[in-house]
Amino acid sequence: MNPQLAGLDDLEGTYVFDLHTSNRAMKLNRFLWKMIGTEARAHFSKDPEQAMTEAGLSDTEKDLVRRQDWIGLIRAGASFFVLEKFARVAQRTNLEVYAMMRGETFDEFMATRRVPECR
Amino acid sequence: MAKIIGGIGTSHVPTIGVAYDKGKQNDPAWEPLFKGYKPVADWLAEKKPDALVFFYNDHATTFFFDLYPTFALGIGEQFEIADEGAGKRPLPPMRGNVDLSIHIAESLVNDEFDITTFQDRPIDHGCASPLPLLWPHAPDWPGVIVPIAINVLQFPIPTAKRCYKLGQALRRAIESYPEDLKVVVVGTGGLSHQVHGERAGFNNEEWDMEFLDLFVKNPEELTKLRHADYIRRGGAESVEQIMWLAMRGALEGEIRELHRNYYLATTTAMTVTLYEPA
Ligand SMILES: [Fe+2]
Repeated sequence: MNPQLAGLDDLEGTYVFDLHTSNRAMKLNRFLWKMIGTEARAHFSKDPEQAMTEAGLSDTEKDLVRRQDWIGLIRAGASFFVLEKFARVAQRTNLEVYAMMRGETFDEFMATRRVPECR
Repeated sequence: MAKIIGGIGTSHVPTIGVAYDKGKQNDPAWEPLFKGYKPVADWLAEKKPDALVFFYNDHATTFFFDLYPTFALGIGEQFEIADEGAGKRPLPPMRGNVDLSIHIAESLVNDEFDITTFQDRPIDHGCASPLPLLWPHAPDWPGVIVPIAINVLQFPIPTAKRCYKLGQALRRAIESYPEDLKVVVVGTGGLSHQVHGERAGFNNEEWDMEFLDLFVKNPEELTKLRHADYIRRGGAESVEQIMWLAMRGALEGEIRELHRNYYLATTTAMTVTLYEPA
């Protein structure tokens, strides 16, 4: 256990992205990361199944991507910082992704914010 | 000899860049943010530094997790602003100073900070989101940047104390550069926020204020905190505030806070501060 991170076990809703997670979910993260490339984006839009198969995603991972299950992807080991690149391709804003990760509708989530118009 | 004339702390939220590009400067929801940068931009326009050294983090854009540097310094005449999935931003490439960057790399490595260097790679919102709020970009940026990326994404990440020491080493590097350049050091990130998991949207204004006060008066205290402390107090991604400590290390000693703007609108406590050596 990394002593810098010790004592977070009771902190709910937080998934620390460390080398264990990174190693486990390398293919998934690389797939999401590649969405910063115009070619990868075009390939994915044209044939998402083919793109996912080429990236070596497992059936579970493919399903999470298909359903745009953001919290599921985080639990499967995705780093938020590559997940947000996929969110751009899926035409979702980060605020929308936060709401979905929390299991709230967008309006419910924004109602908890100080300046909901700031978007 | 080159000299550090001040420090800036700033958030690097990507939506700042989006709002900027969409021209939301006078939108009532965004105005408090943009206005808050004005005094810092004015100070920069008055002091005319030649270079801004950015302690920032890459967000898995310039680098991927298969080879993720703990500390990496950019070298080049230019740094392209990265496409992060939504296309290119309407901004000119950021400018660099090859000799200055190389001198800093040499000085840091000889000082036992074995930094990675990168060239010819685009840089993401870690630098590019706050930069146009600090410096005008038309017709071109008025100076150069020295980008120093710190891994705050894939644990293990450097300790708060290590970041502070990197700042101290940067100061030695700057002060040993033979040209009379004026340098401002920028620490980016934070303040409280969490962007992943069910805890996304977490903030802690009380802690943010405590951080800002300790930052000036007792940064030592902040260098003793563990990553878990930052994660618990300010939200998981607020751990990136250790990059502010790199800036603080470069300004070691007494400093004065000339300006502070804190705007917690939706999910990140968007903050900008300005410091001068006391
Ligand atoms: Fe960041």
